[in-house]
Amino acid sequence: MRRAQKTKEEEDMKVKVRFFAQFGELLGSETVVEPASGSILTNLINEIASKNKEGYDAIFDEKGTFREFVILMRNGKRIDISDAMTTKVSDGDEIAVFPPVAGG
Amino acid sequence: MITIQKGDIDIGELVSDAKRRGTGAIVIFDGVVRDDDITEMDLEAYEKVAVNELENIAREATEKFQLLHVDIIHRIGRLSVGENILVIVVSAGHRNEAYEGSRFIIEAIKAGVPIWKKELTKDGGRWVHGEHKHGRGTERHS
Repeated sequence: MRRAQKTKEEEDMKVKVRFFAQFGELLGSETVVEPASGSILTNLINEIASKNKEGYDAIFDEKGTFREFVILMRNGKRIDISDAMTTKVSDGDEIAVFPPVAGG
Repeated sequence: MITIQKGDIDIGELVSDAKRRGTGAIVIFDGVVRDDDITEMDLEAYEKVAVNELENIAREATEKFQLLHVDIIHRIGRLSVGENILVIVVSAGHRNEAYEGSRFIIEAIKAGVPIWKKELTKDGGRWVHGEHKHGRGTERHS
């Protein structure tokens, strides 16, 4: 449960979330959110993706878990989708969400 | 040079620069926009991560195949059929190292560098599905 009064740290917490390729088309390529301290990565993405059903369905299955091909990065490092449920975001984090790559 | 850029690539200049002391072979890989009944192609990258990964791939290929020089230039933005997408220039003492190093680099790029392509057609567009899957399942095609 959220405390009525935020600490200074909570007030300042900003996290950038970037979506690429088809995810970006559906959800916007970049958004900055101000999550509560201790917010979990999966929940954060779930909340943002909820604004667009097609975007949500592209990333999450009917149980609300990441589809298995989804790739997550936190500050440029991969995070396994199985770890995202226990990963807390921090102030200044850049989270990236994208489908399999297709360069070359 | 390891970079991601919008502009075209001067392959001749890269080849000249790749000739180092000991160079006996230079292999050039030039990936171009294929005419798959498309009008254009749109390329997008997670640039800072992609450049980082391209540098890691070049470093690994250099060590593994004793390369003397590596250039990787990947383009982004809107490209027409026939335009260069990706140029890899590899210099080595002998052809085997140059061919193998070049092949290693292109396969590593396709496997993991965060770049995406959208093929634009007269009816709209379609994202190109990667050859490699990163999760434990398969992509849902819509």
